[in-house]
Amino acid sequence: MGLGMQSSLRPGAVIGVAVYVAVLFVLVPWAIAASGRTDLYYTLTSVALLSIASAGVWLTFFIGRINIGQGAFSLAGGYVSAILVARAGLSFWLALPLAGLFCAAVSVLVGLPILRLRGVYFAMVTLVLTEVARLLALALPITNGAKGMVSLPLPGGVKLLGVTLIPDFATLATPNRAFYFLSVALMSLCFAAMYRLVHSRIGRLCRSLQQNEELASSIGVNIASLRVLAYSISSFFGGVGGAIFVAVSQSIYPSSFTVNDSVNFMLNCFLGGLGYVFGPMLGTLVLYFGWDLLFQTGRFQLLIFSSILIALMLALPNGLLSLRPFGWRRG
Amino acid sequence: MAELLEIRGLTKRFGGLVAVNDVSFKVREGEILSIIGPNGAGKSTLFKLIASFLRPSAGEVWFRGKRISGLSPHRAARLGVVRTFQETTIFRGMTVHENVVIAHHLRSRASLFGFYLGTARARADEAEFARSAEEIIRFLGLGDMRDHLASTLPHGHLRALGIAIGLATAPAVLLLDEPFAGMNHDETMRAVELVRAVRERGVTLLLVEHDMPAVMRISDRIVVLNFGSKIAEGAPAEIQQNARVIEAYLGSEDESIGL
Amino acid sequence: MAANATPDRRSMEQVIANGLYLGAQYALVALGLTLIFALMNVLNFAHGQMYVLGGFITYWVYGRLGLPFVVALAASAVTLAAVGAAVEVLLFRTVIRRSVREESTMLLAAGIAYFLDAVILLLFGEKQRGVPKIVMGVFDWDNLIMPYDRILVGGLAVVFIVAFMLFMQYSRPGRAMRALAQDRVAAQLMGVQVDRYSMIGFALGALLAGVVGGLLAAITGVNSGIGGPISIKAFLMVMIGGAGVVGGAIAGGFVLGMLESVGLTVLHSYGDITYLVIFAGLMVFLSIRPQGLMGKPWG
Repeated sequence: MGLGMQSSLRPGAVIGVAVYVAVLFVLVPWAIAASGRTDLYYTLTSVALLSIASAGVWLTFFIGRINIGQGAFSLAGGYVSAILVARAGLSFWLALPLAGLFCAAVSVLVGLPILRLRGVYFAMVTLVLTEVARLLALALPITNGAKGMVSLPLPGGVKLLGVTLIPDFATLATPNRAFYFLSVALMSLCFAAMYRLVHSRIGRLCRSLQQNEELASSIGVNIASLRVLAYSISSFFGGVGGAIFVAVSQSIYPSSFTVNDSVNFMLNCFLGGLGYVFGPMLGTLVLYFGWDLLFQTGRFQLLIFSSILIALMLALPNGLLSLRPFGWRRG
Repeated sequence: MAELLEIRGLTKRFGGLVAVNDVSFKVREGEILSIIGPNGAGKSTLFKLIASFLRPSAGEVWFRGKRISGLSPHRAARLGVVRTFQETTIFRGMTVHENVVIAHHLRSRASLFGFYLGTARARADEAEFARSAEEIIRFLGLGDMRDHLASTLPHGHLRALGIAIGLATAPAVLLLDEPFAGMNHDETMRAVELVRAVRERGVTLLLVEHDMPAVMRISDRIVVLNFGSKIAEGAPAEIQQNARVIEAYLGSEDESIGL
Repeated sequence: MAANATPDRRSMEQVIANGLYLGAQYALVALGLTLIFALMNVLNFAHGQMYVLGGFITYWVYGRLGLPFVVALAASAVTLAAVGAAVEVLLFRTVIRRSVREESTMLLAAGIAYFLDAVILLLFGEKQRGVPKIVMGVFDWDNLIMPYDRILVGGLAVVFIVAFMLFMQYSRPGRAMRALAQDRVAAQLMGVQVDRYSMIGFALGALLAGVVGGLLAAITGVNSGIGGPISIKAFLMVMIGGAGVVGGAIAGGFVLGMLESVGLTVLHSYGDITYLVIFAGLMVFLSIRPQGLMGKPWG
């Protein structure tokens, strides 16, 4: 067992982190430059952003709730940052955390009543929440309805004391590469933060919640606030993912994140494995690339994709990581 | 002995049914008090009311001069009124040690954020919980089971783990829900000793129990419920002589009062 | 969906009639979903897709092959029952047995929803499909206008609801399924063949979805994109009424139908916000009564 701090300093973990960093920040850009497949930057950026949102869904699973509402927060985060940037003229770098915080705040308000629901009830309500977000985006004047918000500016630069910390994305020759680095860095931060959370005492409290809420409250755990805490972190991730997505595509529509996306976020978690912090990352990668690879099959894409999904479910009902490819521990 | 817990006119209605009807009694510091009664007498409901798992329809529960009825369960626990569960409720997916460590939650001095950052205080807390958990586990005879997954424990040990979880919260009053249910004679005798030992640690104990011989052996005082109302209160010897109690128990077939 | 075509004159009677008509359809959709949930604790994401499949089969048999509408409806029912039975036996049974967490069935259901979507697209294409009217003419009485085909379809839906309830109440399989829904283990001890009735229940749930799909294909037509939205509406109804309870599904269906009908009239001038209001109301309602109108706490 041991404490989280100690276990994260094991030599195996250090090597793992080093390999992870080397692959994502050196090897992948090098391979892309060598092969000239710069379109892969966009694909990988998408995977990174979707895994951030999926990580949030995973966190709600961790407290024993099936969350099919992450699309709502990705959409909300996207709109908040788009509105702040385009209408209020705020810097993207300020709008990004604000979008996340907005989603966290909304999820506290929404979460207080609905987190009392369990099982399929919570699942259904969150699914409905995704639909609410879409309808709101259609109905509110500030979101510009079905026409959406387009031609959003790229993130500007950040200078501190004359030193350029972040270059203006519009001046870059390859903004896609910059977005890749941004997204992968944020994804790494999110998963590191989540890993720490899960392996700290908070994580054990969450597990106690997942296993038995009554007992948890009888040992003095404030289950209501812990649930809301986890849900708001989850929604923060959803909002941040959505906000960067909007910056990458420079546009947002009410249909940018739909029920399908909410379901996919959940699928990513399942596919990777609910018992593993890095499950959503792997699940997103496999699902997204799987879908992309099947593109050549044309009109049979969805059929083959869903058949494989069902077959995977039959073969590995507990997720890909239940194969324990790297001898990872549960939890 | 000072009064620790006072139950005043507690009533709980479910629809038209009165599960607990105007029950009052006091629990003194350091005693073992058992609540008995035929099946369906409202014992479990009374228990949930005292531990704030249910809101009373009328009446109040006072603990150390503070009204605790109407608080949420975790607040009651924080004040020192902690309940264990009938159905051997535990964290099934955790080991015995993890179960007991997590149950130290109330003793945390560090904040949640402190635990996240791993501050010095949080680490000191963690070390203290681990040490205390070891002690409690040994105290309850679970030493050999320390790293077993809770869901794999045999029955008797599950009960002990339930008590261990309760003890880990450092309660002033521990409510034990049928601690001897489903045990054979030897197991019960061991469990009785265990409950006495828990009292020696300075914990006041409130029991709901069916096993009459065990109740008679262990209790300082007994409260008897029938059809939701208190029909008697007193020392075991008095209860055994009480005409209303005998009548209530003769009315039901499957109970023996251990005379 | 269906309410888009309602006449412009909206008297009180008209609103109520539209609500009842919609409610009967919705209740039938919700019944299928809730039956599957009650029996297997599975939230069937593919319910909307099953509905669409039923609609397309009716479209083919009645609209393209020109066979009588009743035959088409029967074809929808039989096909969907077969699909439901197959899905339960081949897929859900295995996953339920092998997975650690019950949520896994939800992933499977989502996978099946995608699969059915793909099949429907390949077989029937993306176009909106309509069929010839099953009966001509319009009922016109003072404040109330209702095409005869709607009255017929609404009536048929009510007949199916009643038939379903009688079946569950009095038939042998119905009683077995009710026992199963109440307590799986106890039912097994009493000698109910769990596997067999899980299959029958799933088939029956899918059949109901197919029948409503067929009924509504006759009024509003069918297109491959409405599976998801139908599922969402079904979830709404089940939440309003309470999951896993027959009465709750029926109540939820009629409540939603009525709300939709009233909303489209009252909120008409504010744009398309009926569902926004319904959703918001549902959030408030569920925070007061999490188990819905008739459900047991925590389903």
